[in-house]
Amino acid sequence: MVDALGSRLSHYMDLLSTRQKLVASNIANAETPGYRTKDIDFQFEFMSQVAGIQPDVHGVEGLKVKNDGNDVSMDREARLLAENAMRFNLAATLLKSQVKMIRSAIQESK
Amino acid sequence: MSLFSSLSVSGSGMSAQRQRAELLVENMANAETTRTPEGGPYRRKDAVFSTSEQTSPFSSIFQKEAGMGVEVTDVITDQRDPDRRYLPGHPDADKDGYVAFPRMNPAEDMVDLMGASRAYQGNIAAMSAVKDMITRSIDLMR
Amino acid sequence: MVLPIVPIQGGIPAIGPVKLPAVSGAGDGAFRSMLEQSISTVETQRVAAQQSVDRFLSGEGEEIHQVALSTQKAELSFEMFLQVRNKVVQAYQEIMRMQI
Repeated sequence: MVDALGSRLSHYMDLLSTRQKLVASNIANAETPGYRTKDIDFQFEFMSQVAGIQPDVHGVEGLKVKNDGNDVSMDREARLLAENAMRFNLAATLLKSQVKMIRSAIQESK
Repeated sequence: MSLFSSLSVSGSGMSAQRQRAELLVENMANAETTRTPEGGPYRRKDAVFSTSEQTSPFSSIFQKEAGMGVEVTDVITDQRDPDRRYLPGHPDADKDGYVAFPRMNPAEDMVDLMGASRAYQGNIAAMSAVKDMITRSIDLMR
Repeated sequence: MVLPIVPIQGGIPAIGPVKLPAVSGAGDGAFRSMLEQSISTVETQRVAAQQSVDRFLSGEGEEIHQVALSTQKAELSFEMFLQVRNKVVQAYQEIMRMQI
């Protein structure tokens, strides 16, 4: 029971964490000439169920490329920043409540 | 790469935007400077950004992946001919009465400065969000 | 005198093999195997948590939420083990008290 504790949630948090790091890089390089937005295919990585391997980082389709070759959209990055943070918060809270549940079950049997 | 090195990435973004802002402010302050130690009028300066790997000061040398931050690799001085204006009474006028003024577009620099300020704030927001995620993870252990 | 350098011990002490009293009669393996299974689970979790913490501290790229999760799992396994052990000891004492 304890072994399976939040393994899916943990994988979810790993991917969110990776994605947030890329968002931070994109924001820092929002005006670097030639820089292309980086991201991971979140759904694909999560569904493939294998935690622990580094997800593939690739460019993003459909972004407008500015004159200096940079294609970072601050709107997109700001939105992702907020969403990643909220989802991470949610996953951490869910994990916490799972831990509490197991702990209660253990202590009830005293 | 851990979340902590992501803080370094945002920090590098803030540092680069700050340097850019400093150059823009210098440009705007010297919009009418006709005399410099190197001789001739002030020439405006531009910062060149490029990506640079950032790691957390706490990470080991076995760190597999570093975060992609930014740094100012070059400061380019404007090489165009200065703006020549006819002002015969000016102390820096040449024999024909022309004074060399900096070739500047203050409106452009003002807009760039606002852009640098917004980009700086963007990096602060990123740093804040990452810091929050780290705090929530630590909270799991309470 | 030079003091030896002692490595920092983890929060949960190592659990070695437990000497179980010999119980005769049917079902004598049940208590023993239940306890042994608990011990091995706890030890596995404890080692995993220790390694997770070590990797994080030495900056090798372990994420903080992974450390949190593995230490929580180790703690829970240990708590569960304690309860199981208490129950086993209780049951043993019950049996010893029975008048034949």
